[in-house]
Amino acid sequence: MNPISKLIDKISNENLWDKEIRLERNDYLKVKGSIDTNIYLVKSGSLRIFVVDEYEEHTIRFGYKNNLIASLDSFLSEEPSELHIQALKKTTLKVINKKSYTSFMDSSLENKKLWLDILEAFVLQQMEREIDILTSSPVERYNRVLKRSPQLFQEIPSKYIASYLRMTPETLSRIKKY
Amino acid sequence: MALSSKQLLQNLLEVTRENLNLAENLKKQPIDFLNWKQSKESWSVLECIEHLNRYGDFYIPEITKRINTSKHKHSEVFKSNWLGTYFSKSVSYNENLNKMKTFKSMNPLNSSLNSQTLEKFISQQHQIIELLDKSKDVSLDKTKTAISISKFIKLRLGDTLRVLIYHNERHIMQAEKTLRKAIS
Repeated sequence: MNPISKLIDKISNENLWDKEIRLERNDYLKVKGSIDTNIYLVKSGSLRIFVVDEYEEHTIRFGYKNNLIASLDSFLSEEPSELHIQALKKTTLKVINKKSYTSFMDSSLENKKLWLDILEAFVLQQMEREIDILTSSPVERYNRVLKRSPQLFQEIPSKYIASYLRMTPETLSRIKKY
Repeated sequence: MALSSKQLLQNLLEVTRENLNLAENLKKQPIDFLNWKQSKESWSVLECIEHLNRYGDFYIPEITKRINTSKHKHSEVFKSNWLGTYFSKSVSYNENLNKMKTFKSMNPLNSSLNSQTLEKFISQQHQIIELLDKSKDVSLDKTKTAISISKFIKLRLGDTLRVLIYHNERHIMQAEKTLRKAIS
């Protein structure tokens, strides 16, 4: 079992979720400049994390069923973060606040180890992502992401995948046909 | 009243986020519901929104200008004065909506409105989010802005932001109530 599913099971078994949140399509969970130190579990639906630069939006990450999502920068620093988080369809989330999460982590060595495993996996993903962004060929970028996360292409509308891949929706559809 | 600037901006961002979400959901409603009104003098959903757009048209450029030209650096604490507190309280939402007189230029009654009205409001909310972000760099009490209703009064930036955003909340809630009546 992967560390994230293990973590989700443990939090559920100990009843640590604060509440459930329902979002309609296009609803914002977080906007630029706000502080959000919660961690969310996606029960159903999907979301995107993005930043706005001048007039353009750049998609950073997606979350769908059974993923954990957070504004990790804000979670760690407790400071405002640039990130927007928006629901792409009707979405249900469970929430755990930082305080309960931290005391859960501190309650056993096993939990601490689990959190470390998750952070390590996250660092590896971020490094893959860094290479994605630096890859100059759009086809190559597409292939890397397709190989890594095939599920993404089933869950998320292509205009957001195109933004994640740093290409226009037209280029993405041409690459897909090819 | 004194509170940390960080806390005030966080609170205003959260209210704006709610306002934005409610507006996104209004956009999914049929246009007949959005134009429905209980009586000749009461406002439809779109008239509530148009009223807010008119205030936005005054306050957003005014606040942008004052932030861009402010010489007063960020301060940790924001102190409202009695005037700012009075104004922001009087325009805020409360359960038994206190009736207020609307200035003629801000009265949207019977103007012609469509889905563009909501698009404009949504775009204004994004601009307000940007302004709240920029406000972090300047002093919320030493930076002053003009207000729409009097040439002789200036408000502290923190108070102007409260007035603008709580006023948005007030009429978005009114729009929600109107929509529920339109549906039933």
